[in-house]
Amino acid sequence: MSHEYIPEIATERNGTEHEVQGWQDDFYGGKLGFWLFMLTEVMMFGAMFLALAYYNTLHQQDFLDASASLNRLLGGTNTVILLVSALTMGLGLLKMRAGDVKGAKLMIWATIILAAIFLVIKGFEWSAEYHHGIFLMHDQLLADSPLPFGQKLFFGMYFTMTGLHGFHIIIGIGLMLWLLKRINAGKVSQDHHILYWNIALYWDIVHLIWVFVFPYYYMIGAGGATGGH
Amino acid sequence: MGTKIVNYQEEKKVYYKVLVGLLLLTAVTFIQPHMFMTHSTFLAQMVIAVIKAWLIVIYYMHLKGEKLITAMVWFAMALVAVFFIIVIGIDVSNFQYGADSYITSAPTAN
Repeated sequence: MSHEYIPEIATERNGTEHEVQGWQDDFYGGKLGFWLFMLTEVMMFGAMFLALAYYNTLHQQDFLDASASLNRLLGGTNTVILLVSALTMGLGLLKMRAGDVKGAKLMIWATIILAAIFLVIKGFEWSAEYHHGIFLMHDQLLADSPLPFGQKLFFGMYFTMTGLHGFHIIIGIGLMLWLLKRINAGKVSQDHHILYWNIALYWDIVHLIWVFVFPYYYMIGAGGATGGH
Repeated sequence: MGTKIVNYQEEKKVYYKVLVGLLLLTAVTFIQPHMFMTHSTFLAQMVIAVIKAWLIVIYYMHLKGEKLITAMVWFAMALVAVFFIIVIGIDVSNFQYGADSYITSAPTAN
């Protein structure tokens, strides 16, 4: 395998060049910093779940009815896709750590494709909901529509949270494309893989958020209108 | 750093085992509303989600053996739990303004 690490070189104003001694060689510091970032993600989504639980407590039956109307087949398919994508990302990192750069790149591409499929399915789902008059500031979610108020809150939170989650998926695809570029440039290698490690961590947190988003929106009303709390 | 020593086959095996576990739990998510705890779907779904999250954090996010980061995560989780207890367990559970508040009785709800 002829994949060699090319160090970061910084050039000073007077033209002197020196190797950057930073995050690439500080594995634990890089990882710790990224975990701190991920805790801010937990805070952001945690606040949204708090708002969701708040409205849910006040409008339990409306939430069950609205949840029952979501497409569980598409939601479940996306759950499995994210689950497999977490595996491909993890295996890719493992391959990189074992020195199999080509295998690692293939796994990143597999993860990107799975992420794109997730977005396409989500697009179909949102499109179907839009045509049923359910979308932010549209038709049934307008203030004067006869849809029960609790259902309006449910769908408002649903589009906000799945939208924000989808935005994270798009960012994840961008990060993976950037990672591929860095691998091709020789900036990420078997011994300098913190960037890969952190992007894999990012993908896991995206998966982790979906682990809670899916049951809260799609499954709580699955037992029929009288089931639930 | 331990990450440089790679036991490829062993770690790959763990990844696949966790995948099987997560797939099984996803299947349980789907059958639960019709099979067990049918009157506590919300609770059952959240318990399954927590087990799945635990598997992901420990094995996929490599938190096993990480003392400092684990402590950070526990601290953050405890903080989130405190907010949930205050807001949901105390405040909303004793909501006194159901008849007056917009979020409980919007003008168009009836």
